[in-house]
Amino acid sequence: MDVRIVSRAFDPQAEVAAFAAGRDDAGALVSFVGTCRAGTGGVAVDELRIDHYPGFTEKEIARLAEETSRRFDCPDLLVVHRVGSIRPGEAIVLVAALSTHRSDAFEVVRILMDYLKTDAPLWKRESGPQGARWIEPRSEDYARRKEAEKG
Amino acid sequence: MVRLLFLGKFGDVAPAAMAEVALPGDVHTLADLKEWVARQQPLLGAAMNATRTRLILNQCVAHDLSRPVADGDEVAFLPPMSGG
Repeated sequence: MDVRIVSRAFDPQAEVAAFAAGRDDAGALVSFVGTCRAGTGGVAVDELRIDHYPGFTEKEIARLAEETSRRFDCPDLLVVHRVGSIRPGEAIVLVAALSTHRSDAFEVVRILMDYLKTDAPLWKRESGPQGARWIEPRSEDYARRKEAEKG
Repeated sequence: MVRLLFLGKFGDVAPAAMAEVALPGDVHTLADLKEWVARQQPLLGAAMNATRTRLILNQCVAHDLSRPVADGDEVAFLPPMSGG
């Protein structure tokens, strides 16, 4: 399992290629990439800033990844999460899971993303011409997290 | 001295002087510390009261605010998280 917090732009395709290289033991690879939008609900976004708590954030994301992968047939999992200043179009998060079959790979990625939204010690702040605002999870994010717990 | 960290929006209203503080004599627990911070910094206190605040003691989640705080500890104040 590879969990990383990065403060510079990363190339999700290159990360996935390196992660999957030589893994002929797995028949399924699912990856998800979350990117920075140029606007939310008609409000333009120039910059997204993500704060983290060094040490604690890494530890918590690793714990969430470990717990999720253990619930499924998932021999390997990759999580890369960006922090710091992010521009529209850049990747924020990458989650990739290997499995024997597709259903487990899809589930691990979906459930881990639900956890990351509400439980990863990260704080997003959007700024644009109309000022800056901190983002908090939406009620549907909490609802998804509850569903994720049930599996 | 106790090291204090204010994450996310709490960081916007936490002055640099709060990064490291000498423990006042009447602060024994995490709950005491949170109240003391709110008294010292009303803006920060209001921000913490307006949302769900989690406390992290020495990089471990503190569910029980009656846990003691001592010199050399690190305490982080976390607003609701928003990753992914």
